[in-house]
Amino acid sequence: MTDAKKQQGARLSEAEAIERAKQGDAEAFEALYNLHKRRVYSLCLRMTANTAAAEDLTQEAFLQLFRKIGTFRGESAFSTWLHRMAVNVVLMQLRKKGLPVVPLEENIETEEEAPRKEPGADDPRLAGSIDRMQLQRSIASLPPGYRMIFLLHDVEGYEHNEIAEMVGCSIGNSKSQLHKARMKLREILKTSRAEKATKP
Amino acid sequence: MTCEEFKRVLPELGSGHGIEQEEHLRSCCACSDLVADLNAISKEARFLKGSEDPSPWVWNSIEVALRQEGLIRQPQLQHLQTPAPMLGWRLRWLVPLAATLLIVFGALIYQRGTGQPQTAQQPSPPAGVVTANLQPTDVMGGEDLQLLKTVSERSPSMRATYEADLRSVNAYIRDAEQSAHSDPNDEVAQQYLRNAYEQKAMVYEMALDRSLP
Repeated sequence: MTDAKKQQGARLSEAEAIERAKQGDAEAFEALYNLHKRRVYSLCLRMTANTAAAEDLTQEAFLQLFRKIGTFRGESAFSTWLHRMAVNVVLMQLRKKGLPVVPLEENIETEEEAPRKEPGADDPRLAGSIDRMQLQRSIASLPPGYRMIFLLHDVEGYEHNEIAEMVGCSIGNSKSQLHKARMKLREILKTSRAEKATKP
Repeated sequence: MTCEEFKRVLPELGSGHGIEQEEHLRSCCACSDLVADLNAISKEARFLKGSEDPSPWVWNSIEVALRQEGLIRQPQLQHLQTPAPMLGWRLRWLVPLAATLLIVFGALIYQRGTGQPQTAQQPSPPAGVVTANLQPTDVMGGEDLQLLKTVSERSPSMRATYEADLRSVNAYIRDAEQSAHSDPNDEVAQQYLRNAYEQKAMVYEMALDRSLP
């Protein structure tokens, strides 16, 4: 597509693009894709930690969306509809691999999950010293269930009632998993910082 | 309120704290530090939102699938008319370029598959007569079969995906060729043919990148 056509697509509002996509307009499909590709891909990438898998899931999410675009009535935000589809695609992939998405029990905390209580001097606060690359690596090391809730809430900005609907859990479970994810990240980041401090 | 009681209700608090929790935070450095750390993590995470782009291959694959499924329909001519009188000339120059890309990828695959330098290779069609001399690409050509063979050897699980992609893009090329043959002066048809070749070149590039160990 020429640059002129790309710019024309960018000038399409989302509502216009949706209506034209329903008529089979290629530029409209591409405009919708360009508007949302980054957010969908980032979610898939953070869930899979693999660019090839993330691209496949991104493709699948958009294809599912575009196949159903004729049924979109504007009752919810288009972006919410799309991201819900992306989350479903990711969840199906995780379930195919047999990975637990969200634990059913809210309060079970295994010995591995419990924050370690180590004696020693007080750690300084993390605030102001979080390395973004280290945070990305730490998120990638979270269990899939914690990772999904953390990404949807703290990265993507969804509320707990929306997350609960997307992943099929209770609001209380969503809050609990988010808290555990943050606690686990805190532990990983502090450990990483302590290791760096001891290196010559 | 004890620290244990505070930590028990912490998941439910969200961004707001009650009076009892506020009083505890004022008197307890450990819980205060904990809340500050968790808030810092949450705040930093917001900057990670939507920071990467997928490769151009993703859109191309989506477009191929949408065309194959009939969800993309031919646009009205008035959407694609351009005022630039040179557009047809630019398009004609790009069509043999895209075809050359295909032939180059085919040569690469042949060379990788046999380990021999290329000896017998069809000469590139002369510029300007590509659209007139191309054969319909309904059936998989030798280069396509060689590509699939290479993918099968290196990444067997991907073969079915690439075979489906090649069939889709070959059908797209066939349709675009028919349009271009029926009216060589049709600039829209020329552009579609260029897009079709570019997409096939993209499939080849992707297959070679992804199937390499």
